[in-house]
Amino acid sequence: MSDYINQSNYIGRVIGGSINRGIDIRLDSNTNVEELAVGRFVVIDGITHKFFAQITDITLHASNQSLIDLPPDFSNQIVSSVVSKIGVFSVIEVVPYLTLDGALATSEGVKPAKTVPPHFARTYLASEEDYQTVFGGNDNDHFWLGSPLDLETNIHLNLDRFVERSNGIFGKSGTGKTFLTRLILAGIVQKQKAVNLVFDMQSEYGWAGYNETGSGSVKGLKQLFSSNVALFSMDEEHSKRRNVTPDYLVKVGYNQIEPEDIVMLRDTLNLSDVAADASYTLALHYGQDRWFKTFTSLDGSQLRELAQTIGVNDRALSTLRTRLMRLERFHFLTDQESDHAVDSILQHIDKGIHVVLEFGRYQHEFAAYILVANLITRRIHQRYSRRKEEAMVDESAEPKQLVITIEEAHRFLTPGISSQTIFGTIAREMRKYNVTLLIVDQRPSGIDDEIMSQLGTKLSCLLDNDNDVSAVMSGVSGSNKLRTVISKLDSKQQALIFGHAMPMPIAVKIRNYDEEAYRSLGLIERNGSDYELDRDAKDLFGSH
Amino acid sequence: MSLDLHKIALQIDNVASRIQQKEFDRLLNLESTLSLFNGASPSELEIKRANSNIGFLVPRILESMSSSYPCQDTPKDYTVLAADGSHIDVDRHLAMQCYLINIGTVLIKYGENPGASLTNDPQLHTNENGLKITDEHSSRHQDIEGPLLGILRTIEEMKAIIKLVEEADKSKPILALVDGTLILWGIIGQAYPGFVRKALLENGIIDTFNQLRDLSRTRKLALAAYVSLPRSTEIVNLLRIDPAVCPYEEANCEANCGSLSFGSRPCDSLTGILDRDIFSNILAEGERSDIFASTIDLHYGEHAVYFYYLNTGSEIARIEIPKWVANDQELLAMTHSLALDQSNLGHGYPVAISEAHEQAVLTMGDREEFRSLVERYLGNKNLPVYTSLKNQSKKLKWL
Amino acid sequence: MENKDNRIGEVVEATTTSFISQCYKLYNSPHLGSLIKTGGPYPTYGIVYNIITQGIDPSRKPVVRGINSSSEEEVYRLNPQLEHLLRTDFYSVSIGYIQGDNIIYHLPPAPPPIYSFVQKCDGLDLINFSSRLEFIKILCSSGIPALDEVISAFIRNLADSQQDKENFLINVGKELIYAFPGDFRKMESILQKVLS
Repeated sequence: MSDYINQSNYIGRVIGGSINRGIDIRLDSNTNVEELAVGRFVVIDGITHKFFAQITDITLHASNQSLIDLPPDFSNQIVSSVVSKIGVFSVIEVVPYLTLDGALATSEGVKPAKTVPPHFARTYLASEEDYQTVFGGNDNDHFWLGSPLDLETNIHLNLDRFVERSNGIFGKSGTGKTFLTRLILAGIVQKQKAVNLVFDMQSEYGWAGYNETGSGSVKGLKQLFSSNVALFSMDEEHSKRRNVTPDYLVKVGYNQIEPEDIVMLRDTLNLSDVAADASYTLALHYGQDRWFKTFTSLDGSQLRELAQTIGVNDRALSTLRTRLMRLERFHFLTDQESDHAVDSILQHIDKGIHVVLEFGRYQHEFAAYILVANLITRRIHQRYSRRKEEAMVDESAEPKQLVITIEEAHRFLTPGISSQTIFGTIAREMRKYNVTLLIVDQRPSGIDDEIMSQLGTKLSCLLDNDNDVSAVMSGVSGSNKLRTVISKLDSKQQALIFGHAMPMPIAVKIRNYDEEAYRSLGLIERNGSDYELDRDAKDLFGSH
Repeated sequence: MSLDLHKIALQIDNVASRIQQKEFDRLLNLESTLSLFNGASPSELEIKRANSNIGFLVPRILESMSSSYPCQDTPKDYTVLAADGSHIDVDRHLAMQCYLINIGTVLIKYGENPGASLTNDPQLHTNENGLKITDEHSSRHQDIEGPLLGILRTIEEMKAIIKLVEEADKSKPILALVDGTLILWGIIGQAYPGFVRKALLENGIIDTFNQLRDLSRTRKLALAAYVSLPRSTEIVNLLRIDPAVCPYEEANCEANCGSLSFGSRPCDSLTGILDRDIFSNILAEGERSDIFASTIDLHYGEHAVYFYYLNTGSEIARIEIPKWVANDQELLAMTHSLALDQSNLGHGYPVAISEAHEQAVLTMGDREEFRSLVERYLGNKNLPVYTSLKNQSKKLKWL
Repeated sequence: MENKDNRIGEVVEATTTSFISQCYKLYNSPHLGSLIKTGGPYPTYGIVYNIITQGIDPSRKPVVRGINSSSEEEVYRLNPQLEHLLRTDFYSVSIGYIQGDNIIYHLPPAPPPIYSFVQKCDGLDLINFSSRLEFIKILCSSGIPALDEVISAFIRNLADSQQDKENFLINVGKELIYAFPGDFRKMESILQKVLS
């Protein structure tokens, strides 16, 4: 197969390997090993197929051990040249992910690799054309995320497939998770693939956030997409201080807090199992509507009495009460509330308007975050399930595809607990009820395995903790090769992306989130007609 | 069968012992012979010789007999030439009757423009060009083989020398060297018919001498023969007729001592002494002896053979020269100095002669090759190749 | 092409892989490692790997002659016959032949005939011959004695007539490795000899 022979990209020939171990490619003596890097793509020209593979290791060899034991006289230029050209050579190990059947020239022919190229097959650095073939071009289904590490060509995320499953964005603090998340959320908005519900703990996605150095601000979803995005806030004061007018102020009633919410807060509130589980008993005892407020208002003796009555350890109950009372300082909690907030959210979602829920001053209160996210998500999920069932009869009842973004998942999706939570359920159900998760986290090792394994696409920035890397890699074939790639990522603006929405794993240099991005992102096609949102350049570029 | 050396060894050993004994006796004898030599009177001996009928060969003394002459200046620029031959005799066992003469020639030029030319020239003689000497006046013929072939070969060597002289640079001195003797000993004593003698002498060797003499008129050319390890006793023979030894006034050997057995004649005391024994005690290195004239009568005329002894440093050699060379001071001196020079260059033997010998020599291998070549050619031409059983058995080494 | 002045001798013995030439003039053989060319139906290229001067008659060995001479030239001058009694032969390994206008880098189909004229090759010949390096393989597997010396002498000659000497030597180095797989010491020592 040599319908394309690009001599300048030629790097060497296949000399061995296996499906499991990877393919070994001996570099041609004219190839500079320093120009190759782990994570880069190569194309192997087999007899009937082209193989797309990723470099996972690079080793140096000497054809003769004596060269190493007794090196030649390097001051002799000519001998040096000969030795470097013939005596020593480099071998790159690559993992073939995809094959392209020679008969089908386009991306239709791209399939997962099930075989290996023959000996001495020629190998080339992937060209732009190759990337195009594999990763597709810029169209309605694909969103431009960035470029490969070695070329200036565009890599696109298949948004359709992305929103089909729950996904995860991981990385150490400061490696650019937030930017990546912002980018993807913007993409989802732009391409209208789903509606976002973002639980924005640190107020980064709604209006404005900070750039990498923290010195300037970058645009949030609302700034980019204005009326397509609604800002909900848990803290009015905070929003006002930032000159942002939220579209809705969220209040949560005590009556809306369910035992399940308390269980989810177990670690955060430092409750024992007994204490946490007691909330179920309390709810039964007092009724769902009243149990929280009633319980927290009990005094000591009433508590002891209660303990006896319901048969729960009084000390546990006492601890529970104390902890629950802590929640009462959250100003967004009110005595009685209806589901109006949820209704409002759903209304927006139904109209296709994306919702970002900011937590204002509660950005450091994990308890607040977990409580609200859990609560709201549970209610939405309920409604969604019902709507979905209705839609079986009446198509118009079909709810819009919803992507729920949560952060700090390792705090409340810990092993053991997550199975009981709504998020665990959503992850397991996949797209059954049109709801998927987008998890953003820096300690993936803290997240329940089961949830991790349900994630369709993972985007991993640099992680340096082995356990975190293992967690991200769990269940992925050929994971030990990819581990090397993750550990070699730049500390900023690079991510390894693999899974459902990517034909093959790829290390990507994330595109810049700047004026140029704003310009391109701010362009939305609506019903075939161009609808430019950035009328005024000054407006858009904001502060820098 | 190959030579059984063990059987020979004892015999050789016995002979060696006897030689050793003889040597002791000889050395005693030599002392007295030397004093005899030194005290002899050349004029007296010459007179006695001329008036006697001596039964052995005694040379004519020219002036003195015990003088020695050092070598004069050796010319730096000169040419030496020599020829030597070897032959394959007529082989009765061979299908084709023929003989092969191989003449090796050497010309070496010393001095300003040194150079050399070494060649060999094999000639095959068959029925057509001379397996016989024929009488022009009758139908008699003499088969050429054996000693006769040897003599013919000598003549061919001389002819080759003549050719070399003609090629040589005539502006420089030329020494023509012959290996062995100028005297055709092979003829003496053989009763060859007249026509044969004529072919060998007048039309043979003497003719070559004449040509060389002619050539020497237009260039400085000397002819000499070099005898290595000469066994001659001519000078000793002179002492035999010395009054101190031979009591007779006239040495008429047959008449005086004819009836005496060998060993009991007065001059027998000098038996076993060779000329070279005497001169090795007389001549210092490089010196030559007096010139003597050989009394062999082969009708050489002006080419009558004269001789002297020369101490080359390695041995006492006998140099024979024709009369026309002996009488020419320059040519005579040339033979002396150049023979010496040649001997030095040749590590004890004149280099020109030894190289000529090398050119001429036919090895056993050569002889076998010659035989097989003849047989092959005869075979090619479909002539019957028959050879005697003796030859067959020699060729096939069977067990 | 055939220049009488370039003629230095004649082939006196020839086999498939090598041939022996006798020089016209004593001691006038081409130097070790020289490229030479014979005549014949398959004009053969050879590299001189051995030069022998000895007596013409193998049974006669040279003896010392110069103890009283002041110089070696004098020995020869005083013994003019020596030049006729000695011969200089040079042994060459065959590494290619000419067919039409092309140089073929294999052994010739038949060795050069006896008495083929032997010529020294000039600079142009060297450049043409070295346009391809296949001869290195043949030379390296020829089994001649002092192989390293012969190779380096030959390469030195070739290198001097190249435009890009360094590149040429690098390519030669590669061919040497192919010829002696894994033996970098050998390649190094040969190249060092070439450059010294």
